[in-house]
Amino acid sequence: MTVTDLTSMAEAQMESRQEINDRLSRLMDEVSDYCYQCAKCTSGCEAHKLLELEPHKIVALLKRGLIDEMVNSDIIWTCMSCFKCRERCPQRVAPVNILFTLKNLAVASGKQVPGNYTAMMQSTMTIGFIQDVQSVQTRDGEVKKREDLDLPAMSRPGDPQKFQASVMAVAMEKV
Amino acid sequence: MNRLGVFVCHCGLNIADRVDVRAVAEYASGMEGVVMATDYKYMCSDQGAVLIKEAIKEHELDGVVIASCSPRMHEHTFRGVAEEGGINPYNVEITNIREQCSWAHDDREKATEKARGLVRAAVAKALLHEPLERSRTPVVHEALVIGGGIAGIQASLDLADDGYKVHVVEREPTIGGRMAQLDKTFPTLDCSSCILTPKMMEVQNHPNIDLLTYSEVESVDGAVGNYTVKVRKKARYVDVDKCTGCNECALACRMVGKVDDRFNLNLGKRSACYISFPQAIPLKCTIDPDSCLMLRFGKCGDHPLCVEACEPKAIDFTQEDEVVELNVGSIVVATGFDLLDAGLMPELGYSRSGDVITTMELERLISTSGPTAGDVVRPSDGKAPNSVTFVLCAGSRDETQCTWCCRIGCMSVLKHVYLLREKLGEKTEINICYTDIRSFGKGYEEFYRKIRGKNTNFFRGRPSEVRTGPEGIKIDVFDTTTNKLFEIDTQLVVLAPALVPREGSEEFARILGLSRSGDGFFLEAHPKLKPMDTFVNGIFLAGTCQGPKDISDTVSQASGAASRASTILSKDELENDPLIAWVDPEACVGCGVCVEVCAYSARELNVVTGIAEVNEALCTGCGACIAACPSNASKHKNFTKQQLIRMIDEIV
Amino acid sequence: MRKIAVYPGCMMPTEQYAYEMSIRATLPRFDIEIVEVDGFSCCGEPLKSISQMLTLTLSSRNLAIADREGLDLLIPCPMCHLALSEAKRILDSDEEMRDRINSKLSAEELTYGGTTRLFHIIDLLHDEIGLDAIKEKVTSPLGDRNIATHYGCHIIRPAELGRPVDSEDPKKMESILGALGFRSEYYPEKLDCCGAPLLPVHPETSLTKTGQKLEAVQQRGFDGMATACPWCHKMYDSRQKKAGETVGAKLHVPVLYITQLLGLAMGIDGADLGLELNLSPVDELIHEKEGGEG
Repeated sequence: MTVTDLTSMAEAQMESRQEINDRLSRLMDEVSDYCYQCAKCTSGCEAHKLLELEPHKIVALLKRGLIDEMVNSDIIWTCMSCFKCRERCPQRVAPVNILFTLKNLAVASGKQVPGNYTAMMQSTMTIGFIQDVQSVQTRDGEVKKREDLDLPAMSRPGDPQKFQASVMAVAMEKV
Repeated sequence: MNRLGVFVCHCGLNIADRVDVRAVAEYASGMEGVVMATDYKYMCSDQGAVLIKEAIKEHELDGVVIASCSPRMHEHTFRGVAEEGGINPYNVEITNIREQCSWAHDDREKATEKARGLVRAAVAKALLHEPLERSRTPVVHEALVIGGGIAGIQASLDLADDGYKVHVVEREPTIGGRMAQLDKTFPTLDCSSCILTPKMMEVQNHPNIDLLTYSEVESVDGAVGNYTVKVRKKARYVDVDKCTGCNECALACRMVGKVDDRFNLNLGKRSACYISFPQAIPLKCTIDPDSCLMLRFGKCGDHPLCVEACEPKAIDFTQEDEVVELNVGSIVVATGFDLLDAGLMPELGYSRSGDVITTMELERLISTSGPTAGDVVRPSDGKAPNSVTFVLCAGSRDETQCTWCCRIGCMSVLKHVYLLREKLGEKTEINICYTDIRSFGKGYEEFYRKIRGKNTNFFRGRPSEVRTGPEGIKIDVFDTTTNKLFEIDTQLVVLAPALVPREGSEEFARILGLSRSGDGFFLEAHPKLKPMDTFVNGIFLAGTCQGPKDISDTVSQASGAASRASTILSKDELENDPLIAWVDPEACVGCGVCVEVCAYSARELNVVTGIAEVNEALCTGCGACIAACPSNASKHKNFTKQQLIRMIDEIV
Repeated sequence: MRKIAVYPGCMMPTEQYAYEMSIRATLPRFDIEIVEVDGFSCCGEPLKSISQMLTLTLSSRNLAIADREGLDLLIPCPMCHLALSEAKRILDSDEEMRDRINSKLSAEELTYGGTTRLFHIIDLLHDEIGLDAIKEKVTSPLGDRNIATHYGCHIIRPAELGRPVDSEDPKKMESILGALGFRSEYYPEKLDCCGAPLLPVHPETSLTKTGQKLEAVQQRGFDGMATACPWCHKMYDSRQKKAGETVGAKLHVPVLYITQLLGLAMGIDGADLGLELNLSPVDELIHEKEGGEG
């Protein structure tokens, strides 16, 4: 017995769906089953007007088990993680967290990571932060560094080797 | 008892699936004191009853043990069957091998073993049963209806027409309830007042009805058939025998136009003395102690203007509350509902803008007796809106607010569309943001179709927020039917808020001993089969106090509740359940502990004999006094300590 | 002297220096000593799209370091505050997850204990220090100005997690500004997002969100905007010009950290509050002060 989407000829991926619901549970989120498609999330979505993200549709596709369609898409990378959908949902579903999970799946499946994330990951894995101390400009055009402003040295991981090792170990682990 | 029959029920597959019922029956037939044992598919059926009666005759049984579902289901039935078969109905023992055995366990072997144990214990208990007789208490042929809305009105008229005296206690100065606040009702578009006021007048004029308005129930004592109720008649500060309802005092009052008018949901103002609405029953003025200068400060200018204006001299500031005691046989609760405070959802803008209102507030604007004399205008500037947007499910079906459906929101809003088209004309834009349109009742779908034909914009989607600012009101809503996001620029927003239990329900439930369901409404004994009964014998529910519903269902339930109350009132005596406590006079030392622990006020210490007594009408057999009695004088009929010990022995 | 530790995150110590400067300049005036704690790293929240497990681990790691200090923790960045709060909630209730994370942290000899109380600057000022104490220290109010509050997203949502500020009708920043002598009127765009989380993937959209809100604030006649998040401030202040170009508007909205406004009202020199680092026209807001009561 199968359920097939005739537009894409994709079959429902119930195992993937269960996997995602399990991850949501482990992060103490409501599972997607309770969504009744009121679309309140999309009505208030900060990313919808500019990038056409439809959080309620993400939840609907998850309920149908059409996971690959989403994992392979660009739309999942448009979420602004403003959490309004989670806040306003009358069934406590969190499209924002479903999207995080889908993005995680996209990265784990070897898809190219879009935008600046690679650089941020690299930086975090080496120095522990998404970027290192920057030089900034003042309103008058002068250039200042952190030490010029009488700020103490930044707090950093004590043992960079050990830190790196533990970060590398967990980076690709699933929830 | 020493000639028991054991009957093990299959309950279809409910029990037989997990428990080897045949084996249990065979096992039981070998027990001491058991003369015969058998199993049968459905003990609760007609055939089952015949089986028991024939067995009683054939084997000369003097007691019966039935291993079946919970006694809550059929204990009453089986007692009746036993009685028909010729044995005392209290020589029947039920052991639950369904809810507490077959339905709770997966392992067939272990479940069967457990069932055997349960039957052993039941047999041990039954062998020590004594035949019991039901005592009788007289019934007072009067009823109390709490609440004077349409539910209370219907129930009281039904009971009064049945010939009983009915006391109606209503908290407000007038009866009429929520229906009096409505303009028209769906789906027939009847004028609400027009269909309500004749009934209100009937209540006032009915010789069997004693109407106590502006009154509240303070305490309820006693039991079914004989309740003692204290009612506080609040002081109106107006002599109702003299007041003619001319309303001159309200016009003259120094506080005219200054007091928030609660009947009009604070959309309008009134005086400190007032009649809620023109068709009020009774048509008598009431002075509000929270706003009247005389009552608050002891002076009103240099003299109270209302006294001056009142020709019949009905104003009386010396009036006091009066507490009366009523004696009734049955009570119908019809206390109604409140709307969820829309201010609890700040994102909908209710507290921010006067032009975001609720459906009930719109109802008052539409009403000719309302604060705007029927003109639908924006509260902010008094101008007619060129666009009205309805937001359904404001706080309903929402795990963060009220989880339940309000049941009337969809139909109310459809009705409002119709009325607004009449009031505001065809050019006004009307938008509805909905999640589902629930038009389930008779004539409702037809009405929905009519409104679909009325040039209304239906958006299938729930707005996330209502934005209010100097440039107006804007709502973004995603419409799942077209998959587009729409921005609605509107001038009046009407929210359909959730229905919640009346303020004060918790305290009220305590006074009557009523249970409440998870949503806070009063709990019915069974949602399908006993929707008006409560778990307190003799108290029945009518209308929205039991759960959200429309007028049709309210009136149906009210008549049903009246019928249920009538079943009690039609008797001269009620039989009391004999499975209650009794006192062994030899053992009682007169310490009085039982009187203290009894939650039902069923115990009294007889000062003459020095021995505790049980009021058989009030005792519910809860067992508290039996546990508390230090001298083993308090005992439970057919549930003695010996029986319990024997049962434990058999199980362990 | 009350001692607290500060968890700086990534943004504040590497580029949003004015936030750190103004916190360090103002808190001691309320008898609060900032204890330096070494060893912190990114909280992981900006990388949540890559790996939620990484975020959880990094946040737990930083909480473990804080536990070691035994001090209350001030987290000036709302994104970090959300990440750490969420990690705390999960680890406090899920023993299995706690053990799993602790086994990873053991590589750095760290253990999550769950003993640290977490604060953001808004609730530290409003709930712990209190409005009365703040009012007492106001010696140089800037006078009657209407300042728009920008809470951002992560400090107010999701309410169920327990955030320091109400999610639908937040008032704490307004109260603090009120104690400083400012007005802070409501505006419909108040709860709109700044767009920062989309910077790595859709920078233009990010800037559009920023520009749209700034435009609204400007059109509504506010004298300035107050921020309490280094990401939001980066967008509204450092990137204001770019945001204006993106939405085709000439923006000149003075944007300051709430701690900068606090410092100014307390009479602290602008240089110590990193005022030169604000790229938005803050002088417009302050100049009148110098011309006015002073």
